[in-house]
Amino acid sequence: MEDGERGDLALIDGARALDKHSVAALISLFEDMRPEAVPRRAAVVDQLGRQARPPSAILGITGAPGSGKSSLLARVSLRLLEKDPVLSVAILAVDPSSPISGGALLGDRTRMNFPSWEKRLFFRSQASATELGGLGPWTFQVSRLLEALFDVVIIETVGIGQSEADVRHLADRVYLVMQPLAGDEIQFLKAGIMEIPHAFVLNKSDEPTAARSYHALRSSIALARPDADDIPILRTSARNGTGIDELCDDMLAAVRRPRAPTHDKEAYFFERWVRDEWGRSGVRLLEREWGGAESFVASARSFERAQADFSSRLGDRGR
Amino acid sequence: MAETKHPAHQIVDKEGKVTRDPTWIFRTYSGHSSPKASNELYRANLAKGQTGLSIAFDLATQCGYDSDDRIARPEVGKVGVPINSLDDFHVLFDAIPIEKMNTSMTINGTAMWVLSLYVALARERGLDVQKLTGTTQNDLIKEYLARGTYIFPPEHSLRIIAEMYEFCLREMPEWNASNICSYHLQEAAATPAQELAFALANAIGLLDLLRERGNFSAVEFEQAVGRISFFVNSGIRFVEEMCKMRAFTELWDEITRERYGVKNPKYRRFRYGVQVNSLGLTEAQPENNAWRILIEALGVTLSRDARCRALQLPTWNEALSLPRPWDQQWSLRLQQVLAYETDLLEYPDLFEGSIVVRSKVDDLKRQAMEEIDNILDMGGVKAAIESGYMKSALVRSMTKRMGAINSGEQIVVGMNKWTEGIASPLLSGADGGLFKVDESAARLAVEGLALTRKQRDAGRVDRALAALKEAARTGKNMMEPSIECALARVTTGEWAKALRGVFGEYRPATGIDGQKLGLEGDRVDRVRARVEGLIPRLGRRPRLVVGKPGLDGHSNGAEVIAVSARHVGFDVIYSGIRLSPEEIVRSAVEEDADLIGASVLSGSHLELADQIMEGLREHRAQDRVKVVFGGIIPLSDFEKLFAKGVKKVFTPSDYSLIDIMESIVSVLEEGAG
Repeated sequence: MEDGERGDLALIDGARALDKHSVAALISLFEDMRPEAVPRRAAVVDQLGRQARPPSAILGITGAPGSGKSSLLARVSLRLLEKDPVLSVAILAVDPSSPISGGALLGDRTRMNFPSWEKRLFFRSQASATELGGLGPWTFQVSRLLEALFDVVIIETVGIGQSEADVRHLADRVYLVMQPLAGDEIQFLKAGIMEIPHAFVLNKSDEPTAARSYHALRSSIALARPDADDIPILRTSARNGTGIDELCDDMLAAVRRPRAPTHDKEAYFFERWVRDEWGRSGVRLLEREWGGAESFVASARSFERAQADFSSRLGDRGR
Repeated sequence: MAETKHPAHQIVDKEGKVTRDPTWIFRTYSGHSSPKASNELYRANLAKGQTGLSIAFDLATQCGYDSDDRIARPEVGKVGVPINSLDDFHVLFDAIPIEKMNTSMTINGTAMWVLSLYVALARERGLDVQKLTGTTQNDLIKEYLARGTYIFPPEHSLRIIAEMYEFCLREMPEWNASNICSYHLQEAAATPAQELAFALANAIGLLDLLRERGNFSAVEFEQAVGRISFFVNSGIRFVEEMCKMRAFTELWDEITRERYGVKNPKYRRFRYGVQVNSLGLTEAQPENNAWRILIEALGVTLSRDARCRALQLPTWNEALSLPRPWDQQWSLRLQQVLAYETDLLEYPDLFEGSIVVRSKVDDLKRQAMEEIDNILDMGGVKAAIESGYMKSALVRSMTKRMGAINSGEQIVVGMNKWTEGIASPLLSGADGGLFKVDESAARLAVEGLALTRKQRDAGRVDRALAALKEAARTGKNMMEPSIECALARVTTGEWAKALRGVFGEYRPATGIDGQKLGLEGDRVDRVRARVEGLIPRLGRRPRLVVGKPGLDGHSNGAEVIAVSARHVGFDVIYSGIRLSPEEIVRSAVEEDADLIGASVLSGSHLELADQIMEGLREHRAQDRVKVVFGGIIPLSDFEKLFAKGVKKVFTPSDYSLIDIMESIVSVLEEGAG
């Protein structure tokens, strides 16, 4: 692997041209746990920021195992490329790690049937490093890199639970994929975190129970989120292609919409990083002595610089 | 029965004369290289006393690709004969009177196509199609579970099978439109009860479908039940296997009577053919396999009431390579000795009245019925496939089996016990005891294909394909349109592509989710520590891409490796089966993997290694990504693979998962930092 700053510059040039090897190597840098990777990341982000590119969107796709996310995504990603001949799409699929061995099985590629060397489509698997799924410690970092390179960044996560709330912080728009259920509203309320998504996707809509499920889901949403009952429910079938176009259009609209400023999420994930990396004492230090996450990131001017500054300050104190 | 009293140990014929039973059909599963070479082989085998044909097709033909398709190229002529069009069938059956043959064809995803070719061949020869006898394997359920040459999603595959039954019952009444296979389930480590349950649930699913479709009268439906035949495995626990066959026979009689109300006992008979077990054949001390094959053959021939109708035997060197003609001849001779020299066929059933056998059979039946009910409760075999239930059950059985062999609890002579011995002289011939596919096979096939395309009537081809697609869309029976395609010289790839366009292509549940291994103990802990030790050097947990390049779909080995690798702490990207080398390379490059583990059982390892290495070089990843191979790879090819840059080669003799994991960690330790 190319090392050091000169190597990174070459990788940045390659990655801007969507060269797969370069993008892959940079993602690895953004997942690298070694302390020396922190300043390298900050330098890469600085460098990437020098050349403006059209804004991109980060989309979260979440849902329980078995809801058919991967098959759906396989169709959606190809359709997005067809709809917009210059659009580029990166998919980051996060799967849970084994709590015992630390290893993970990242199986999403088995569902994807990509044209082999399409540069505009990049797929990467990531282990969550936690048992429940949700976002891994490096997911935000990698999404920062990918949004500087691709027009659409799709983060796919498994598992339903508290960890999923992170997705809302990371993505501009979150889709919750569900499959038809045999029962009533209560099942939907139990099955999903209704508060999280910006849009629901009722997949496998070709199944016989789908029509009834749609109405049950509608009324569950009315119960769970009375103020937002106009939330879209997109009915799709990865099998026969129903609703794929509508879902793609919804996604493309999100790309065109002006983005909210990212300060909040940088601060959120910075604090999370401090907690992961330095524990509660790190968070205490950040809040009491260094003005809290928001101002720390603001004065460092980027998430990655903030990480580098924090590391070196704490490094000076001895870790 | 005759008036005269005969002793209980004799068989008497209709005239009351003491007689012996006819032999079962002797088959040898064969075919390779090219239609011409295979035709010569068949004619030679028939001259040696073989009594039926068993056609092996290459993987391209089985998966619906022409020989010149990019994904097919490394596979052409490897594990069977390449068939691109009716012209190839004319050569394959040249000077063989197919109206007198009982022809078994191991073909599934493209079964309808191959049967159409056979019918078209008969029509062009001016033969009576009604007289053709034989079998198209055509069991897609076991393809999804274990063998991997499916093409279409389950509902469409099942429709094709049903249409073939509907066609055959009227047009080819002696033809078995499909064979319900439990053979491959045992190869995937199914227990006897699982083998019984999954196969019978499969048959129930098929008959339920035929009944639902409503295209048969009551009389025809009863005949259709009588056309259901089975293809069964026979393993080394031969007493249990014999009991399993009796359980099959009794259960099938009960199911057809109770569930389908079949009155004629003839239509309730459990008709089955056998290929004995290959899973238990070892690469170590391969000569021992000859004894295993003999013992396994006894399991399905000893009991008259549950004797197979046709038998094909593997060869002693199957774990090493594809068989040579001599190896096949040796296996055929075994059958001939058993049938003609021994007194086996002179007796009525030997186990009638045995308390031990009765009890064992009842136990197997009870376990099987429980599992059948379980599957039916889930919504039947299609639901159990789509949910991944059956696949997971098999992967669990396989990991359990591997665990028992690893721990020494299950003894395999010459492999995990008594491993020292004198080297086998069988391997010391000029060819090393191995078969080599003629390298010119692919070229010949591609040339033949080009000629067919040049000489045919393009307009007729287009019309035939359009009619096929129309039938596929509207739900009309696709047999006649397929036969017209065959006559028009449509190619295998064109036929499959037309239907892929209508039905889509199936991507399976992998069965690897949530699997646990019985691997524990100090060695596992040490490997985990070594994997952890790589993290500071790599900056992250080491990443493996595990996948099966090429068309062979025996995925269970690759899946066990994927599960084991996670178990010792790797992040594993499992890329699934039937991948082009480009797709594997793409996975490795995008995932920035440290190592590719490729599993190849079809004999195409040299070509695939070339293509993977070339792909890695194109993406400047040849130094970063290490490559190891696993599969049926002869020792003589190891050095060639190493020369291409492959770091390690694993074969069935490396049955210890923890050894394999240690070896993979070593490769990464050498490369890292």
